[in-house]
Amino acid sequence: MVANTLVRIGALAVDGLSLGLLYAMLGLGITLVFGLGGILNLALGVFTVIAILLVVELTASVPVVLAAVFAIALTGGLGIVLERSVLQLVYRSEGDERLLLGIFTTLGLSIALQGALSLRYTGEFAVPVEIPSVEVFGAFIRGSSLVIIVLSLVILLAMYLFFSRTYTGLATRTIMQDETGAVYCGIDTSRMRTFVFVLSIVIAASAGILYGLSFETNVAGAFNLTITAVIVSIVGGVTSILGVVVAGVGLGILTTFLSAYLGSYISTIALFGAAIVTLVLKPEGIQ
Amino acid sequence: MKRDRYHLLLVAGVLAAIPPAFFAPGESYLARVFILMVLYAILTTALNLVFGHTDQLLLFTGAVAAIGAYTTALTAQWLGISPWFSLLAGGLLAGVVGVTVTYVAAIRELTVIVISILTLALQFSIIELVNSLRDVTGGVTGLAFDGLTIPPLVNLPWFTEDIVLFYTLGVVLLGMLAVYQYLMNSRYGLAFEMIRQDETAAKSVGLDTVKYKVIAGFVATFAIGLVGPFFAQLSGFVSPGTYQFNNIDVLILIMLIVGGLRTMYGPLVGSAIIILLNEQLRAFAEFRSILFGTLLVVLFLYFRDGVVPFVDDYLDKWDVKRRAQDLMPGSRAPER
Repeated sequence: MVANTLVRIGALAVDGLSLGLLYAMLGLGITLVFGLGGILNLALGVFTVIAILLVVELTASVPVVLAAVFAIALTGGLGIVLERSVLQLVYRSEGDERLLLGIFTTLGLSIALQGALSLRYTGEFAVPVEIPSVEVFGAFIRGSSLVIIVLSLVILLAMYLFFSRTYTGLATRTIMQDETGAVYCGIDTSRMRTFVFVLSIVIAASAGILYGLSFETNVAGAFNLTITAVIVSIVGGVTSILGVVVAGVGLGILTTFLSAYLGSYISTIALFGAAIVTLVLKPEGIQ
Repeated sequence: MKRDRYHLLLVAGVLAAIPPAFFAPGESYLARVFILMVLYAILTTALNLVFGHTDQLLLFTGAVAAIGAYTTALTAQWLGISPWFSLLAGGLLAGVVGVTVTYVAAIRELTVIVISILTLALQFSIIELVNSLRDVTGGVTGLAFDGLTIPPLVNLPWFTEDIVLFYTLGVVLLGMLAVYQYLMNSRYGLAFEMIRQDETAAKSVGLDTVKYKVIAGFVATFAIGLVGPFFAQLSGFVSPGTYQFNNIDVLILIMLIVGGLRTMYGPLVGSAIIILLNEQLRAFAEFRSILFGTLLVVLFLYFRDGVVPFVDDYLDKWDVKRRAQDLMPGSRAPER
C-alpha cells in the first residue's frame, strides 16, 4: 500500500520535473526578451506551436531528429524576420510606452498568426514518435518524460555555460543590468537584441517540440503556452535567468501533483494564483 | 456644461431613432448587430475611463462581465426574483472586485504593465474558476438564462424583445456617458489628467491618487458587471466561453484605439466600426483573427490617435466647429 503510494509519487515527480523543465525553458524565452529589450513577448506560444507543426509536416519526408533541427532553424528564421520588421518599430519608443506597445504588438501578432495557422490546422497534433515506457522499481515512467528531462537539462546547461562563459553571453547580461553602461562598453545593443530574440525563439521552439513528445496541443493552445511562460517568468523574478529555472521546475512539479490529486482546474488556478501573489507582493521585478 | 448636454442629446436622439429605422419583427439579425454595438460601446467607454484617463490597463473586462452575469443569474435563481433586480447585485459585486484590484494596485504602486499582467492572470483564473465550479455554474456548458425581458410589453404586436434590450442598454449607455462627461468636467477629470501626466507630481501637491484611481476603477467595473448579463440574454445562456479574453478584451481594446482614447465619441464610433467588421467576417472566423490581430499591431504602431481625434483635427482645420457654433442661437463667443 505504502509502496504503491511511493511509486505513484515517484512517477508523478518524474512527470512533474519534465513539465517543470519545459516551463523553465518557456519562461526563459520570456525572461530573456523582457530583460533585454523590455518587450513582453506574448507571441512566444505561437512559435512553439509553429515548431511542433513544422516537425509534424517534415517527418513525412525526413527522420524525426532531422525534422526537429530543421523546424527549430525555420522557426528561428521567422523570429529574425519579425524582430527586424515589427519589433524594430516597437523599440523606437521608450520606457512605459515601449512596454505597452510591446504587449499590444505581440498580442496582435499572436492573434493574427494563430488565425493564419488555424486556416490549415484545425485538430489536435503532437510530435509523431512513440517512445516506450520504462519500468523503474515497479513504476512505469513515460519514456517521453525521460527524453524531455535529459534534453532540456542539456539545453539549460548549455544556456548556463553560454551566459556565464562566453563574451556574447556576458554582454547580454550586461545589457540586462544596465543598458547605457553596456553601450559605453562598446556593446551593440540593437544587434544583441535581435540575437537574444532569436535565441528566445529557438529555446521556445525546442521546448515546444519536446512538449509535443508528451502532450497533444492545438493552435488555440498557443496562447495558453504563452500565458504559462509569462507566469513562470514572473514568479522567477522576470529578469533573473536562474530564478526562472527554479520557478519553472517548482511550478511544474506543483501543478503535476495538484492536477493528479485535486483536478486540472485547481492546478491551473494555482498557477495563476502564484503569478498574482508574486505580482502583488513583489512587483519591483517587472517595473 | 451646456455643450455636454447637446452631445448627450445627440447620442440619445440617434439611439432612439435606430429601432424604428432598422428593427422589424422577424428580422432579428440587424437588431442583434445594433444591440451588440451598444453593449460593446458601454464596455469600451468603461475601458476608456479607467485606461484612457487613469492609466490602469484592466485586461479582465471579460471576467468582470462574467462575474456580473453569474451573480445576476444565480441570485435570481436562489432568491426566486427577476434578474432585473439581481442585475444590481451583479454590478455591485463586479464593482467590489474592481475596487479591490485597483485599490491593491494603487497602494502597491503597480505600474501599468504590472496591472495589465495581473488582470490578465485574473481573467484566466476567474474563467477557469467558473469552469471548475460545475455544481454552481454549470461548468463549460453554463446555465440557461432568459429573464431580461418585459413579458407584458413583448406581447404587443410591434414590440419585440430586441427593442426592450436595445432601449435598456441605450439608457445604460447614456447614463455611462453622462457620468463620463460629469467626471471629465469636474475636479475628478482634472485629478485624472494630473495622475495620468505625472503621478508623483499629483501626489506631491496633496492629491489622493489612490482615491481617484479606485473611483475610476469602480465606475468602470460596475458598468461592465451591469451589462455582463445582457450577453447571456442575447445567447440564452450564461457560459464561460462568452466572456473569454479573445471575445471581449481584445475587441474592446481595438474599438477604443480605432475610435480614439480619451474622447466621448471614440468608444461609440470604435464599437460601431468593429462590430460591423466582425459581422461581415462572421463566416470566416480565421480571417477575422488575422484581420483583428493585424489591426491591433498596425493601430498601436501607427494610428494611436483614433478616428474621432482625427476627424476633430480635420474639422478644426477647416474651422467647421466655430462656424457651426456661430449658427447656434445665443452663442457669440465660443469657448476654446
